[in-house]
Amino acid sequence: MERDRGRSADEAVQGARVVVIDDDYAMRLSCRQILTKSGYAVEVFEDGAKGLEAVLSERPDLVVVDLKMPGISGMEVISRIHAVDPDQVVVVITGYPTIGSAVEAIRAGAFDFLPKPFTPDELRLVVRRAVDRRRLVLESHRLEMEREILRRRVATFVSHQLKTPLVAIRQYMDVLLRLEGSEGVAEQREEWLTRSRHRCDQLVRLIEDWLTLSRSECSDLAWRHEPLNLAKVLEVTVEACEARADECGVSLDLTLPDRELVVAGDEGCLGVLFTNLVENAVHYNRPGGRISVVARVERGEACVSVTDTGRGIAEEHRSLVFEEFFRVEKDSDEGHGGTGLGLPISRRIAQEMGGKIDLDSEVGVGSTFTVRLPLLNREGMTPPVEHREEALR
Amino acid sequence: MSAERTVLIIDDDEDFQASIGAFLESEGYRVVLARSGREGLAKLKECTPDAILLDIIMETMTEGYGVAFSIKHQPEYQAFQDVPVIMLSSIHESPDERFPRAEETELLRPDRYLSKPVDLDVLLRTLAQTLQHA
Repeated sequence: MERDRGRSADEAVQGARVVVIDDDYAMRLSCRQILTKSGYAVEVFEDGAKGLEAVLSERPDLVVVDLKMPGISGMEVISRIHAVDPDQVVVVITGYPTIGSAVEAIRAGAFDFLPKPFTPDELRLVVRRAVDRRRLVLESHRLEMEREILRRRVATFVSHQLKTPLVAIRQYMDVLLRLEGSEGVAEQREEWLTRSRHRCDQLVRLIEDWLTLSRSECSDLAWRHEPLNLAKVLEVTVEACEARADECGVSLDLTLPDRELVVAGDEGCLGVLFTNLVENAVHYNRPGGRISVVARVERGEACVSVTDTGRGIAEEHRSLVFEEFFRVEKDSDEGHGGTGLGLPISRRIAQEMGGKIDLDSEVGVGSTFTVRLPLLNREGMTPPVEHREEALR
Repeated sequence: MSAERTVLIIDDDEDFQASIGAFLESEGYRVVLARSGREGLAKLKECTPDAILLDIIMETMTEGYGVAFSIKHQPEYQAFQDVPVIMLSSIHESPDERFPRAEETELLRPDRYLSKPVDLDVLLRTLAQTLQHA
């Protein structure tokens, strides 16, 4: 590990550009010699004004500046640099080191403070730390930008998902109003009003699902972590899905173990987790098909598998099914009115509970979604890892 | 009395198709429907439309642009290159905003861009205008 870090740090050093601003000739010379030998690209300046100009135009990886200089002082250099580029990393050196000036320099925005006289090693160490810091700052900006792009893309996608049903309803209304009085419109009206109502319901469900999904990101705010009887939650879920399963001609059965299964979580969310899986199993099944929900203990964890006899999920889709809004095409999507958020929500909930969901599938045969959740023992604590390994043996 | 004009509607929302399709039929157009880009390109060859209404966001966020590109640039659809394409989207963003590079929008060359929900009179006017120039 240490070796790896060393290697990549050296890579970070190679060619990193350092600007040294010091009115002392000897200091400039020795800094340049020491740092160049370590692989840095060094530029030196004898006064603050020239140094400042170079820094602002070239944006080096590090600025090393002496505090006390004639003309523009080190402190002023720092503040002028940061006025333009707050991310510029600056290290101050000074022959008059006092705690006061150190604090003042750090407060003014310096990253580190190196009192003269310093040894070559001390200089190298401080510079290395500062250059590493620079890399981190730039990296975090890049990540920020990526996150922002992603956020905007998601926002666009969400607004489209929410607008689409409203657009459909609005167009129905517009055309009905326009065709009012014409032949055959009464029949159209009934059909289109029914469709509009369906789209309204779909929109409401979509909004609820979005709330659930975003709610689960604020884990400490929204989640209750109380001991739950998993068997009971499964019984309630299965019972709630029975009517729909009957409608689709699919049989639904639940197998529970003898022992009690206690997990920690939010009862409502746990219900949502399994409801989504079972509803999916109903929708993507075939008439006369079957759904088996089996709960058991496996390797010290609570394990619930939902197996259907549906079309199965092709290998290239398997990682995608947990993506928001991804839906495998099915001809009769109308009745389902699904939102494409069921699986991502279930996965998020499982993760919040310290568990996960796995997918196993065979095209033409069916799919099995397996939810694994940590068990609570009688003291209300999750068994430590050693005990679980014990169970393996 | 002008000959009956055919409009091909490529949109994955069946309700949008139903309402706008019925409306255009009531205005004397012959309407052909397609639920996806792939289906749209197939129907294009079958029905030789006078105009195409093309939704942008279908299976992906930019599927419509892909379809428009195929029609305008692939040799397979050369015969339909000049069929006016009216692009539709609920996202009120013109191709110029979505594709800031001029070459990209130029490549896609949508003849018109309408935002959803579509104003019925604007739709009729736009169709009439593009058909006139064809």
